[in-house]
Amino acid sequence: MKLPKKVVAVASALAMVGLLTSCIGGAPEERAAISEFPEKWDEEITVDVFDGVANYMGIQEGWFGDLVKKKFNMKLNFIAPNVAGGGDTLYNTRVSAGNLGDLIVIDKGMKLDELVQGGLVLDSAPFYPAMTNVEKFDTAVTHLNEGKDGIFAFPTMMSSIKPTEPDGGVDPSFGPYLRWDLYKQLGYPELNTLEDVLPVLKQMQDLEPTAPNGAKVYALSLFKDWDSNGIVTAKQPAAFYGYEDMGFAVAKADGSDYQALLDDDSEYMRALKFYHEANKLGLIDPESTTQNYDTMFSKVQNGQVLFSWWPWLGQSAYNNDANTQAGKGFEIVPLKDMNVLTFGAEVYGGAQTFAIGSKAKDPERIAAFIDWLYSPEGRHANDGKVMAAAGPKGLTWELDDSGQPALTELGRKIFIEGDAEVPAEWGGGSFVDGGSQMNVSAVLPADIDKETGLPFSYRTWPTYQALVETPLSADWKAKMGGAPTTMDYLRDNDQLLVATGASYTTPTDSSEIQTLRKQVEPIVVQYSWKMVFAGTDAEFDQLKADMQEEAKGLGYDKVLEVDLERAKERNEEREKVAKEFG
Amino acid sequence: MREYPASRGAAGDDMTSQLVLQEVAATELEESPAAEKASRKQRRQAGGRRSYTMFLCILPFMVLVFVFSYFPLYGWIYSLFDYRAALGLSGSEFVGLRWFELLVSSPTQVAQIGQVLLNTLAISFLGIATSVLPLFFAVFLNEVRAPWFRNAVQTLTTLPNFISWVLVYMIAFSLFSSSGLVNNVLNDAGLITQPLKFLDTDQNVWLTMTLWSVWKGLGWGAIIYLAAIAGIDQSLYESAKIDGAGRFQLMRYITIPQLMPTYLVLLLLSVANLLNNGMEQYFVFQNAFNKETIQVLDLYVYNIGITGNSLSMATAIGMLKSVISVALLLTVNWIAKRVRGQSIV
Repeated sequence: MKLPKKVVAVASALAMVGLLTSCIGGAPEERAAISEFPEKWDEEITVDVFDGVANYMGIQEGWFGDLVKKKFNMKLNFIAPNVAGGGDTLYNTRVSAGNLGDLIVIDKGMKLDELVQGGLVLDSAPFYPAMTNVEKFDTAVTHLNEGKDGIFAFPTMMSSIKPTEPDGGVDPSFGPYLRWDLYKQLGYPELNTLEDVLPVLKQMQDLEPTAPNGAKVYALSLFKDWDSNGIVTAKQPAAFYGYEDMGFAVAKADGSDYQALLDDDSEYMRALKFYHEANKLGLIDPESTTQNYDTMFSKVQNGQVLFSWWPWLGQSAYNNDANTQAGKGFEIVPLKDMNVLTFGAEVYGGAQTFAIGSKAKDPERIAAFIDWLYSPEGRHANDGKVMAAAGPKGLTWELDDSGQPALTELGRKIFIEGDAEVPAEWGGGSFVDGGSQMNVSAVLPADIDKETGLPFSYRTWPTYQALVETPLSADWKAKMGGAPTTMDYLRDNDQLLVATGASYTTPTDSSEIQTLRKQVEPIVVQYSWKMVFAGTDAEFDQLKADMQEEAKGLGYDKVLEVDLERAKERNEEREKVAKEFG
Repeated sequence: MREYPASRGAAGDDMTSQLVLQEVAATELEESPAAEKASRKQRRQAGGRRSYTMFLCILPFMVLVFVFSYFPLYGWIYSLFDYRAALGLSGSEFVGLRWFELLVSSPTQVAQIGQVLLNTLAISFLGIATSVLPLFFAVFLNEVRAPWFRNAVQTLTTLPNFISWVLVYMIAFSLFSSSGLVNNVLNDAGLITQPLKFLDTDQNVWLTMTLWSVWKGLGWGAIIYLAAIAGIDQSLYESAKIDGAGRFQLMRYITIPQLMPTYLVLLLLSVANLLNNGMEQYFVFQNAFNKETIQVLDLYVYNIGITGNSLSMATAIGMLKSVISVALLLTVNWIAKRVRGQSIV
């Protein structure tokens, strides 16, 4: 009787030890460097893609999934913190478990650094000689991996455009976009400054009180899921005036002005006041407090919203063929005093990076996939979506007789009417739904495609420009003195402020600053929402005072000091890069 | 099994022999120190073997207690580090008591924790105050004569217990959001022009949260009382009826007093869980408007640790819970000592 008991005890003790030691992994195996990737892969694998910017969770479907399957015999399984919600929850739990994913799209700076330090990403140096497409951006790769013992990450948003030139094609990233048809009905009232928009929006809402689907129209519809150091929609109007935030610091992109987020006269406070006034006029959708971006986006699609902070919201949601042919759609309505912020092409790449997880199933194949994203074929495919690149050659576009790229029948259906079914041999399904869910470009779509001599972005192609001549765009151009695109108008009228693309990497917060920051942020968000929906001006002011006091009590000043320092540092780097590359 | 007659006899008579030994020891105490010494030795030997087997019997449970109650305390060590998940504990920097200093360094921080504790206790006490509802519900339900109706009510009220809080919030959202059913009906009826804010407000949060948990838990909580009612001796009712008691008198003088022991046990357990009012409910219902009044301790720890990405700071705050629990226990113990003259621990 005694012996079995002992056996059990020993066995359970061993099991315990086993359990504990199983957490400690073995040493990474040494890999020999390779000079080229295999032509094909026999075994099908599914790779987990931890993508910090993806807005989709699950297996990549449609034509892009089909293309990746054919080329690499692999399926992409997206793991998206944006969809999961809860901030860094997903990141933390996966990192604690020691495996973030096979392919990782992560911010450079703090997160990438700690992943490298913690051994969660693989040194891709053995594969690098075979990555011929990435190699063209060797300077940026070297810059990104500076101070690291190997090549752990690859930069995104690369381009050969000058850092002092806008990174986009025909549209800025921000701008006051209004429903042009209603604005026209009011007789194009002149807008001197931001606050002038309110009475105009009020009249526009009165002109169209209900949307075609019978729902009530609200000029402004806010959403909550992108809130961070403040409510996201209140940070946008600052960009109309060239301001950009750095934590709690707000800086003008040319370095001429620095503000603190919670100062009485900051651009953020001005925006909160703007929304507060709008709410008093009944212009704000009461569902703003609870809805997310997707819900708001579908409201814009249905014509229930009259204002957009970005072209990629208003125009991509509402300006379909049917609407624009009827003269309806979102167009920029310039404010006399605006100075719209736009970003220059980043010399050393954007905020995100690609990395291979240290426990990746087949790192070589993932390296080949990353390399492919930088190739012309990969760029057309990965960026193949509305307002970016056109998609695979032969599917949505072809070279016409004069050697110019032009949309095919299918391409026209997709990019002008909104969407279309992809033929079965390309994987079938809707083109829009089947597009790449990576949501990050390896190389900017505005970069020149050597094959066509024109940018990857179809919107800049002359053949496309001729196609999209609609009553809406004709009316807008006539009113704007014949400017062909928004970007041209802004540049000609000196209303554009380009933030030099210096690829500034925000340094890692010390843990104390990070903790303080994370304590203050929810307070700012919480009070900001309350301020927008405050019943009276007195209540608004009281909430503002409470917010400032509580934020200060939780260490706001300490964090602000760090942020201001960084904003100035960023500006210095920009000046340096502008001098070197500009 | 081999047999050892002598030792077996000793083991079999263990109980009695021990008692006898005790008595002997007591009487011999004054008499002879030598005899006492001998008997004590004897006693220790017999008792030693016995307690060894007894110890083996309780060992599995001690292991369980250790693994689930004491081993997790090891996690407190995280509060002394600047823990970063990617680096692991060994790679993180040791910072000593920095997080605790941070907690008490600013009055706003202290006020925030005070508010969180207030929310926790308020919601807990409201929960305890409503714990009589399942009791009365069970008593009244038991009086329903039509079995089909009683069963239907019981099923319908038990059902919400099996709905997760996420789904409860979905129900709440579709009913009470600014474009939800209630607001639409009121709007169409011309009673309101602006939608009423039921969810995104800081008014009556404690109360509405309590109402939601009552709605969810009423039927489930009544089950145990229904079972207890079924176990009440029928002769009590019969003799009461013979004495001329009516239905309400039966409820008042028989059913409820008979349920009291069950109720008190449950009450005691809920007092013990004062700080553990969970977080799922508050997590799904929280938003920018009600955050200040809805944030209970568990949710606060979650918001700081997981959402705010400060696991070490959250550990430090989580330790607060243990400290307060011990304080509560000592208080209850003190009260028990004063009232009953007997302490619990």
